[in-house]
Amino acid sequence: MKLNIDGLLVYFPYDYIYPEQYSYMLELKRTLDAKGHGVLEMPSGTGKTISLLSLIVAYQRTYPLEVTKLIYCSRTVPEIEKVIEELRKLMEFYTKETGEKNNFLALALSSRKNLCIHPEILHANIVVYSYHYLLDPKIADLVSKELAKKSVVVFDEAHNIDNVCIDSMSVNITRRTLDRCQTNVETLQNTIQRIKETDAAKLREEYRRLVEGLKEANVARETDIYLSNPVLPDEILQEAVPGSIRTAEHFVGFLKRFLEYLKARLRIHHVVQESSPQFLKDIYEKVCIDRKPLRFCAERLRSLLRTLEIADIADFSAVTLISNFATLVSTYSKGFTIIIEPFEDKTPTIVNPVLHFSCMDPSIAIKPVFERFQSVIITSGTLSPLDIYPRILDFRPVTMASFTMTLARTCLCPLIVGRGNDQVAMSSKFETREDFAVIRNYGNLLLEMSAIVPDGIVAFFTSYVYMENIVASWYEQGILENIQRNKLIFIETQDAAETSMALEKYQEACENGRGAILLSVARGKVSEGIDFVHHFGRAVIMFGVPYVYTQSRILKARLEYLRDQFQIRENDFLTFDAMRHAAQCVGRAIRGKTDYGLMIFADKRYARADKRGKLPRWIQEHITDGSLNLTIDETVQLSKHFLRQMAQPFRREDQLGLSLLTLEQLQSEEMLQKISQIAQQV
Amino acid sequence: MDEEPERAKRWEGGYERTWEVLKEDESGSLRATVEDILFQAKRKRVFESHGQVRLGMMRHLYVVIDSSRTMEDQDLKPNRLTSTLKLMEYFVEEYFDQNPISQIGIITTKNKRAEKLTDLAGNPKKHIAAMKKAVNSMCVGEPSLYNALNIAMQTLKHMPGHTSREILVIFSSLTTCDPANIYDLIKTLKALKIRVSVIGLSAEVRVCTVLTRETGGNYNVILDESHFKELLMYHVKPPPASSSSECSLIRMGNLRLTPSSDSFFKKQHLESSDGGPGLTLGGYYCPQCRAKYTELPVECKVCGLTLVSAPHLARSFHHLFPLDAFQEHPLEEHKGDRCAYTIKVFTCPACSSVFCTDCDLFIHDTLHCCPSCIHRQGTS
Repeated sequence: MKLNIDGLLVYFPYDYIYPEQYSYMLELKRTLDAKGHGVLEMPSGTGKTISLLSLIVAYQRTYPLEVTKLIYCSRTVPEIEKVIEELRKLMEFYTKETGEKNNFLALALSSRKNLCIHPEILHANIVVYSYHYLLDPKIADLVSKELAKKSVVVFDEAHNIDNVCIDSMSVNITRRTLDRCQTNVETLQNTIQRIKETDAAKLREEYRRLVEGLKEANVARETDIYLSNPVLPDEILQEAVPGSIRTAEHFVGFLKRFLEYLKARLRIHHVVQESSPQFLKDIYEKVCIDRKPLRFCAERLRSLLRTLEIADIADFSAVTLISNFATLVSTYSKGFTIIIEPFEDKTPTIVNPVLHFSCMDPSIAIKPVFERFQSVIITSGTLSPLDIYPRILDFRPVTMASFTMTLARTCLCPLIVGRGNDQVAMSSKFETREDFAVIRNYGNLLLEMSAIVPDGIVAFFTSYVYMENIVASWYEQGILENIQRNKLIFIETQDAAETSMALEKYQEACENGRGAILLSVARGKVSEGIDFVHHFGRAVIMFGVPYVYTQSRILKARLEYLRDQFQIRENDFLTFDAMRHAAQCVGRAIRGKTDYGLMIFADKRYARADKRGKLPRWIQEHITDGSLNLTIDETVQLSKHFLRQMAQPFRREDQLGLSLLTLEQLQSEEMLQKISQIAQQV
Repeated sequence: MDEEPERAKRWEGGYERTWEVLKEDESGSLRATVEDILFQAKRKRVFESHGQVRLGMMRHLYVVIDSSRTMEDQDLKPNRLTSTLKLMEYFVEEYFDQNPISQIGIITTKNKRAEKLTDLAGNPKKHIAAMKKAVNSMCVGEPSLYNALNIAMQTLKHMPGHTSREILVIFSSLTTCDPANIYDLIKTLKALKIRVSVIGLSAEVRVCTVLTRETGGNYNVILDESHFKELLMYHVKPPPASSSSECSLIRMGNLRLTPSSDSFFKKQHLESSDGGPGLTLGGYYCPQCRAKYTELPVECKVCGLTLVSAPHLARSFHHLFPLDAFQEHPLEEHKGDRCAYTIKVFTCPACSSVFCTDCDLFIHDTLHCCPSCIHRQGTS
């Protein structure tokens, strides 16, 4: 159908449209008009992707000078494939409707082995790839730096974007890294030696270029051709590479010295935490390495690798990592912390020293993106509370909106279970988590649910350790045996192969009527990337509130930083983080309007307003006062009723006019009125 | 729904939030709509049966009754098994009333096994007696959908092509314990044109959804006992025959009750011999071999002729010429006389008499003719 979105002709490749899609496109259009950034939350399964694509493509066609390119970033390869599939549909529709040959070029970069370096990428109208291509400085520089300024960048499934940013900037150095680095440096030295004998002119040429300085790069940045790289700060561009590392041998010597210093730092018996300036001061005192050459380290290494014509860069990942670390630590005095731990928390007896160079400020990595592109859209099914994202990513959006899901029948049923039948409060909080009664009640809840929920149940625990404890305890109490009478049990482990095997068998059991339970962990692989449509997830049970492990030093440092820099209280951030993961977990069950599922929050604390209020609006509005702090019995009764209601025949006609619209229905005055209420501006 | 005499005491029932049903909802997205959907479904059922469709009137139906552990659940009173068997008794009577020339058989499944309770047969009494006995049986273990379907299939596949082959599963459990891949069996069932319908007592189970979708049956889940009855009664009507089924002429003996002129009583035939000492004066005589039967319809034990009476044929006949659907009007348009309070009124297209929803259903489901039309025919 052809839509009129606020004066813009949009081709939409389906005959029916959800009201919220229309509303979403309106907001999106407003954002593009204002040439600003936007944060949009819309439940999964309501056709976010196609709405985004059709509107932006239409915008591109109507105003080719305003928007030249769409950069669509998604998280995983299957998600990228889904986007491409929708895009294909849209393009076919265009060809059919307009009759003209499709002159749009879309490009998907899914994995390294499919990476395309053809110059045509520069002319593609749509680029679809993973987050890392834009956020990770190591890759972004290779892939994304030539993208035009007048592009629209979309981050889909962006609820974890701050963590992606942080991960892309953080460096962890272990003894192994250093050993491999050592080998790298030796290889470098040998190669230099060899080239010196055969082709000394090449090295001289490089030297000359370095004297010239990085003028070229500077010109490029000033004329606005490239996306700036956070690892390559502005000052470097104005200066030449310092003399101490200009020749290849000197540089290798410099690297060796730096390496020795790091090795020495790893020889510790107690935890050290220091800031970047402290580290720089120490390195100057100990091995006389100045700040300036350190800052040029990454650039100098890249130049050297180019000169030596080393084809396989992957082999040099260790030394690249170290040089990136050197540049970052000397460039940013704020936003990073260095923590050196002699052993891991879990294994305090085994010596395994790690140097964490940890980024605490996600805005550092994403800043160039916000500054460079005229519109950046951050969108996901779960972004609540919306206002926290602009704060932690440090940008000013022009639109922030949350959309509800219009439903012809209430297909999601969030229930907060707070007590067992014995009235003992259920909670995973630290003081009671080992409590016998709590564990038994959790077990009873799962047992009761396994008897009334058909096909698949997915249960999430707060951590692997907690899951292991509980499952062991259930086994001793005989609860596990009773559950197995109703359904098979599968467990997610940290081993990826084992987990995907369990997942496969789980789906098989759901498919052929045996019924199964998947025990998994919030923040794990299952909770993030895997959808449990229809019978694969008729109920999701969230045991406890998935707070992050708060004793970690990196987290503590980050919380402190958030408090000092952004005035976000520790507790607010922790709750926000826990609730977004909980929302992700329970959101796995509902993947569309014909789907239905129970969402069971098994912790008393969810009933509190500060927790409940941080759930996405589309879940929150279905939590009534009657579904708070239930006992197991009440939960079972409500669930039974819900499941029976949902099993009644549900056809497309029942949706039409309510949650699914034809073009005529969409154009009615009354419907437009209703649609204006779907989006909630923040 | 009218009040059932055995309806559960309020305190025995689940947590009902009656006040929430009353809640008016502006966006029309709450429970009220579910009720509305149900109402629409009810109406649709009336509509669906109309038009000139070939119906499979000679039906062979196997009813699979789940007797697993979950049948002891007390959400139907006094428990699922008793409630189901009671409704089934009613169903069997209705079934033979509406489909006099059809047969039925009953299979139960429990403890991962399935067994025949009764074979395919045309006499309701035997089935009812068997079910009465089964009320006291134990409900144990898990059901096996595969085994139950397999047993039914073994018999049904030998049934002649002009008859319908159907299985109705009353499925209480949420799991099934199968010895082999059930999807292969579904394929076989589909190939044999066996139609499988399922009535779920708890919730929607995936394998049943696939089973019914593939074989062309219906899948419904009950809301409560009255809904259960409604769903069961739906299966009383013959389903549309698949266009590929064969056509053939069937010889039938059309009988009338003839008082016996014999001076001594003939021992009647086997059919009712287990039902006690039946010595009657009157009876039906097979036109071919003069064997005597007290009950119809029956297949003659001697010569194999299907014996029916004229009313039986007539009752089957109405399926072929169903009453036209009544037109639906909003209540406001009719201020005049109507039978009861209703949100919508219905008018007969032939005589434009006005009826309420319940009357409309009664006329279409039970009477199969418009009383007003008949009345007019009588007077004119």
